[in-house]
Amino acid sequence: FFFFTYPFLFIMARRYDSRTTIFSPEGRLYQVEYAMEAISKAWAAIGILATDGVVLAAEKRVSSKLLEPGLKSEKMYKIDDHIACGVAGITADANILINYARLCAQRYTYQYQEPQPIEQLVQGVCDLKQGYTQYGGLRPFGVSFLYAGWDKHFGFQLYHSDPSGNYAGWKGTAIGGNNTSAQSILKQEYKDNLDTKQVLALAVKVLRKTMDSTSLTAENLEFATLTLVDGKPSFHSLTADEITNLLQENTEEESNN
Amino acid sequence: LAYMSILEYNGGAVLAMVGKNCVAIASDTRFGIQHQTVSTDFSKVFRITDKTFVGFPGLASDTQTMLNKLKFRIKLYSLDEDREMEPKIVSNLLQTLLYEKRFGPFFVEPVVAGLDKNNKPFISAMDLIGAPLLAEDFVLSGTASEAMYGMCETLYRPDLEPEDLFEVVSQCLLSSVNRDALSGWGAVVHVITADGITSRVLKGRQ
Repeated sequence: FFFFTYPFLFIMARRYDSRTTIFSPEGRLYQVEYAMEAISKAWAAIGILATDGVVLAAEKRVSSKLLEPGLKSEKMYKIDDHIACGVAGITADANILINYARLCAQRYTYQYQEPQPIEQLVQGVCDLKQGYTQYGGLRPFGVSFLYAGWDKHFGFQLYHSDPSGNYAGWKGTAIGGNNTSAQSILKQEYKDNLDTKQVLALAVKVLRKTMDSTSLTAENLEFATLTLVDGKPSFHSLTADEITNLLQENTEEESNN
Repeated sequence: LAYMSILEYNGGAVLAMVGKNCVAIASDTRFGIQHQTVSTDFSKVFRITDKTFVGFPGLASDTQTMLNKLKFRIKLYSLDEDREMEPKIVSNLLQTLLYEKRFGPFFVEPVVAGLDKNNKPFISAMDLIGAPLLAEDFVLSGTASEAMYGMCETLYRPDLEPEDLFEVVSQCLLSSVNRDALSGWGAVVHVITADGITSRVLKGRQ
């Protein structure tokens, strides 16, 4: 966890922030920290584990009416049939890593003839990210990922990775803008025995309280679930109608509370 | 035992035919090592997308390897392009994969059969270095190819309904492999229509 008070280190940082491959005297890698700053200004994504699945939710901001809405998401990606990813940060950087993750998963399947365990995939991507903090002289990737997946070894899992190449497994976590407040709400509200439906409701609650936008609609939100369907992992991106219904169900509950 | 070509080491036969808004693809199910039959449930035809099948007759090891390589590429394509690979594109991809090994090839001679996104039938075959054959009627490959050509030319007619197509394909395949020592020991026939896939296992001469 790299916490720093920006004004205090303003003068010191100047000398040590231009290269990724050197430490500062305090033992920090400034480029990595700056990458994380970039992500904290990006649009939010949260991931929560349920008993029967994993839920990913993201805020989507359409910056111009002139933009053609593509069919593909820029926040949620499928890596393989059993692994999905939520993204926060520089989209162009994310594309490279998503592609790499997909190749990793397929190479594993080619070699071992079975789906790659989630943690192995996360490690693969993280090892790549780490390389950019130690050699090459190239800047780190300005992306954080939330990996949601299912494998036969550990069931449903949620992981978070950041530009440093560190990763951890989570029951619920948030990345991007307002992630600290989202994280603290999750800490209070998360319970171990919630199913996917309840977790979706929790995700709505968290986003409602942390998003900058005043209103939540299907236009500025994305939800996806990774569950087992007929015993096989299945990634489902909620349609606009499903999101609208989800929001309606949870507004009514809120007002009842 | 001497063999003329490494393509005859395991033996096998695959046949694909176009019908009215449907395709059928069939293979024998013998897995043998030269004269010795080892297994009688080794189909050389595999479903690789919702509406496309590929058959890889030839060296059994390469049958399995080409299938795995193809599945790798197809998965990446569908993740990248957010759509299924159409049979024509599968055929093109296979041609590329095979030609990459031009001077040390995979010993398979693939057959592709499927319905495109408008449910229009597509079949193709290629040699071991990727030279394609695009036909409107039937394609085939394997150690019983001469006999299969004879049977198909005789029995084929255009616009066969799925049930009739199944009968024609079955007769063509079974009669051909019965004259080939290295093919046979059962067969499997898949008929692909817009509504779905019907697969039937045939018991031939033992």
